[in-house]
Amino acid sequence: MPMLETRGLTKRYPGVTALDALDLSLEPGIIGLVGANGAGKSTLIKILLGLLAPTEGSGTLLGFDIGHQGPEVRHFVGYMPEHDCLPPDMSATDFVGHMAQVSGLPRTAARERTAETLRHVGLFEERYREIKGYSTGMKQRVKLAQALVHDPRLMLLDEPTNGLDPAGRDEMLDLVRRTGTEFGIAILMSSHLLGEIERVCDHLVVIEGGRLVRSGPIGEFTARTGTLLVEVDGDSAALAARLQGDGLRVAEEGRALLIAFDDDRAYDLVRDGVAALGLGLVRIEQRRQQLEDIFREPAGV
Amino acid sequence: MSERPAAGNIYDLGYRRYEGIRLGRRHAVLTVYIHSLRAAFGLGRPATAKIVPFGLAILALIPATIQLGIAAVASDVVELYSHSGYYSYVQWIIALFVAAVAPELVGRDQRSRVLTLYFSRSLLRVDYALAKVAALTSALFVLTLLPQLVLFAGRAFAQDSLTGYIRDNWKDLPPILASGLLICLFFGAIALAIASQSKRRAFATGGVLAYFAISFAMAGILLATLDNDLGGWALLLSPFHIAQGFTLWMFNTEPSRSESSSTYDLYRAGIALWVYGAAAGGYLFAALGILYRRYQGIAT
Repeated sequence: MPMLETRGLTKRYPGVTALDALDLSLEPGIIGLVGANGAGKSTLIKILLGLLAPTEGSGTLLGFDIGHQGPEVRHFVGYMPEHDCLPPDMSATDFVGHMAQVSGLPRTAARERTAETLRHVGLFEERYREIKGYSTGMKQRVKLAQALVHDPRLMLLDEPTNGLDPAGRDEMLDLVRRTGTEFGIAILMSSHLLGEIERVCDHLVVIEGGRLVRSGPIGEFTARTGTLLVEVDGDSAALAARLQGDGLRVAEEGRALLIAFDDDRAYDLVRDGVAALGLGLVRIEQRRQQLEDIFREPAGV
Repeated sequence: MSERPAAGNIYDLGYRRYEGIRLGRRHAVLTVYIHSLRAAFGLGRPATAKIVPFGLAILALIPATIQLGIAAVASDVVELYSHSGYYSYVQWIIALFVAAVAPELVGRDQRSRVLTLYFSRSLLRVDYALAKVAALTSALFVLTLLPQLVLFAGRAFAQDSLTGYIRDNWKDLPPILASGLLICLFFGAIALAIASQSKRRAFATGGVLAYFAISFAMAGILLATLDNDLGGWALLLSPFHIAQGFTLWMFNTEPSRSESSSTYDLYRAGIALWVYGAAAGGYLFAALGILYRRYQGIAT
């Protein structure tokens, strides 16, 4: 059973359709949810949590029905909202500990988990100070900590880098990535910045105007029409001719050759060609197509 | 999927999964209840947050303490305060307390938007609202049941025989407990229903106080001006009068001319006392309904 599945999920507000018959099926992993502001990312996350009721459609999260089993679902989910949601006059320790208990952890366990989680997100001495004195970066860490403290199976992170400066952004993305890979917690993270998603996620869901544009492993978005950059020591024109003879499309760029490829066969042909011609191979690298490039093409193809 | 990091820094213990027990909704409700009860008295908050609740709690104890003091020095003839009339002396203190504390309990969570985090856990919206009602009700015990027990002790010590007093007056205890409980629930639910409508503290506090004061004044004015049966029913607009009415009903005591002004109003109105009990039930039901609707509809 997939971790997340929706069928015809629709949310209509007066005058606006926030989600339009969304069908999704996702396996555990680090999933990026991309779309412009107003594309329906937050709405989708809130519906999955049972904070909002869908107008139509249904779905399951971790095998629970999101319409009828909200409390059961939320037991195993951690949620980091986009907006501010922290009480200013509590300390991070008190607050995260309180939230751990609300999530069902007994008092002592809550205290231990709180210390551990705050250490993981990188809050140390500050954790005993009142939250109102925190920087935006520290507040985001507390928000992440309260979503993680009860050891959920899935974390829903709504724009976790919101309001952060570039350095804080990098740290937060790194934290999300580590939480997903090292802890084995599935993550669904929304962002309107493709670069962030590309760095952190291994699966990408693109929505626009409440509709699903595309969903697939991140490699599928970038690798399908890749370019191989090859630089050799010697007669590169001969290599180009040989590779063209093998059926590859080759272009020259300065001293290097650019080779369009669809699969790993291109690597073998380059290797064989270089060996046969007795050339020295200086450099061979995959020129990844950036996600931004995909979106320059009309969406939905 | 649940693999731990294979090797790493020896100082890094790595992430440990939580394998312990997970308690359910009841634990979540209890946590919010205890947290709110502490917050009602400013516990876990800076010292300034404790001044108002503790100050008012002490004020509510003063009449009972006076009675206790009299018992220590004087004979058994002096009886200043009765159990059934006690709340007519401290009703304003109770009103000030709920006006100060209710916005603290329900407004802060709306202001900081921490509600979103509560509702994204297994806690239901109605659980949250009920935990808040229970917390404010319990906090009010300090202003109602505690003084009543001090008063009971004061009256008992004024007698020659302590055990004799208890033997003769134990029947006061059930109405003391019942009326105290209902007063707390009644004032707590009304204050929360009003305070939850605004996340702005000043509006919430002002709204609660204005409601109690205006309804009290209006009931008095209507009683005086409408010089017929209808004037008496005007008292049902006022929570203070209703509270006084059902307290007397529970003590099975008729209102007299001599006690405080609201008791005198009840005397003049001449309505059967059980009506105030029924009205209290109606108000409580309405207040809980308003609170329920507020939290079902609140955006997160």
